[in-house]
Amino acid sequence: MILPAFILSAVLSSAMADGTASITVTVDGIEIGSGHLVVGLYDSAEGWDGETAIDGRRVAVTGDVAEIEFGPLPAGRYGIKMYHDVDDDGQLDTNLMGIPSEPFAFSNNAMGRFGPAAWPDASFAVDAGENAHAMSFR
Amino acid sequence: MFANRREMIALMTAAGGMAGLPGPARAEPGDPVFEAFEAARPEQPWTLGYADAPAAGLDGVAQRLTGRLPEGLEGVLYRNGPGRFSRENWRYRHWFDGDGLVQSWHLEAGEAPVHAARFVETRKWRREEAAGRFLVPAFGSAPPDEEGLSGPDGMNAANTSVMMLDGDLLALWEGGSAWQLDPDTLQSDGPRVWGDGLAGLPFSAHPKVDPDGTVWNFGQDAARNALVLWQIAPDGSLRRADMVGDVPGGMIHDFAVTERSLVFLVGNLRFERMRLPYLESFRWDGSRPMRAIAIDKADWSQRRTWDLPPGFLFHVGGAWERTDGTICLDAAMSGDARFAIGGAYDVMRGVAREETVSQARLHRLVLYPGGRSEQSVFDDGYAEFPQVDMRLTGLERRYTWHVGWQPGQIQGPTDIVRRDLVSGATQRFSHDADVIVEEPLFVPAGPAEGEGWLVHTALNTRAAATELHVLDARNVGDGPVASWRLPYACPLGFHGCWRPA
Repeated sequence: MILPAFILSAVLSSAMADGTASITVTVDGIEIGSGHLVVGLYDSAEGWDGETAIDGRRVAVTGDVAEIEFGPLPAGRYGIKMYHDVDDDGQLDTNLMGIPSEPFAFSNNAMGRFGPAAWPDASFAVDAGENAHAMSFR
Repeated sequence: MFANRREMIALMTAAGGMAGLPGPARAEPGDPVFEAFEAARPEQPWTLGYADAPAAGLDGVAQRLTGRLPEGLEGVLYRNGPGRFSRENWRYRHWFDGDGLVQSWHLEAGEAPVHAARFVETRKWRREEAAGRFLVPAFGSAPPDEEGLSGPDGMNAANTSVMMLDGDLLALWEGGSAWQLDPDTLQSDGPRVWGDGLAGLPFSAHPKVDPDGTVWNFGQDAARNALVLWQIAPDGSLRRADMVGDVPGGMIHDFAVTERSLVFLVGNLRFERMRLPYLESFRWDGSRPMRAIAIDKADWSQRRTWDLPPGFLFHVGGAWERTDGTICLDAAMSGDARFAIGGAYDVMRGVAREETVSQARLHRLVLYPGGRSEQSVFDDGYAEFPQVDMRLTGLERRYTWHVGWQPGQIQGPTDIVRRDLVSGATQRFSHDADVIVEEPLFVPAGPAEGEGWLVHTALNTRAAATELHVLDARNVGDGPVASWRLPYACPLGFHGCWRPA
């Protein structure tokens, strides 16, 4: 999910000309104070549905809130998928029926319908400059 | 069901425009279902059974009406049922949506029964209580501005039954985790996780306990024609849990066990495609048979199946297996599912009506080796909440106790009935017409089948109060040997369990 930094900088150099954007994601509702948050950033419906993130973070959990920075990025529409890897095994644990058993969330705090949230519900506009986006586990 | 659902929508539309229909719009003042129910309350005393209980719960002492607590009948009766139906003047559309209200009745010699009721503090309850409105789609309702669901446990209302398991009290629902409660205070601990990879799996509201204490249960994944099967040791530890496929996605609420088999009846309210609210994923399909499936307790890959006439059921009485593999079973079955997908919506609007074919009657089934079966019905009245002497779970037995009522009694059951499955004879006690009776739980006293007490609650709609009655299970027709009445009414519940002192 995490692209090498040099590819990102190459991709982004063209966007710099149009002005760059950044996203500060604040996360609350973290119930267990250990493990890592695994966060993926997406810039299209195809990428969202096809699980091809343009950037990703693995952030150690130190409390019930966290902050994650993305950028520089071109302005546009973005979506975020996130789960809490409570047991640090590097994957979203699921039960026998395939239902996630670790906390997860989508941008806009969009919820799925017995599945992942859809891109139209989870994507949000990112303008040039600094952008804030709040997410919550629940 | 289509006619019924259309009818409901048409009525709602007529009553208050489209504002109250499930959808993205926030409820405008005047939710038609909420208003219809409030308007019905003064004229329809039975609606008390479907009204909200206080969020903090209830505490009270019951006053004696008649008789004395029988010697030896000391312990706690726990019951569960939906108890919260509306928030912000918006009311659930379906009876089964209400948040679980667990009640305890402490019975002690020489003392008046002490009653308490507490809501199960599921995640859903805590978040919605804090928000002051409903946030998630429920089993049969989509509240305004609902947020969607991350999984089945997100709408777990823990509202269907209770069980004692090695000192723990579990509040049970059909589609998600069992919720652990403190049996003394009724305070909620959280979902029970039985082992790795098992969090959030459905653990149905009708576990069965073998005479040796082994607990069997199931959960349904109707979308994938599958079940999860559970085998739990008497100490509450997991023996086995696994998925079993090729079980048609007809809504399964209850099952039966024999000494050798786990027996499922798959009715004709079939999963069609995933929709929210979840109940709308199901459609009546009378074009196919009802399917009976007996899964070998020792080897879950081994099964026998039978095709039966189309029908629907919530509850099984019990089953046993002859040495040649023939399975005998009794269940409260109906010709269609119009209560689940019609009547249980109607009561939320304050409308009670009778659809004769939709009411359950006690049926006997005999499932022979080779796929042949026989079915017969006890055609002398409606029957629900069948109960057995649980010491004979899975074994040959003679009696089933249940609530009963007759055509024309639209507000529901008034009778407690003992059915002799062999002769068909009944003992029946009819409470007054203003009384709605709830599940009669058998509590053993002597060694023989049926030697014990029936303990049941009832809503006296004239007195606007909930009552507790004790009957001699062998002499049901004599009526209660003891009765008490609370100073308040509780919402009608579903199922209970008994914890001996």
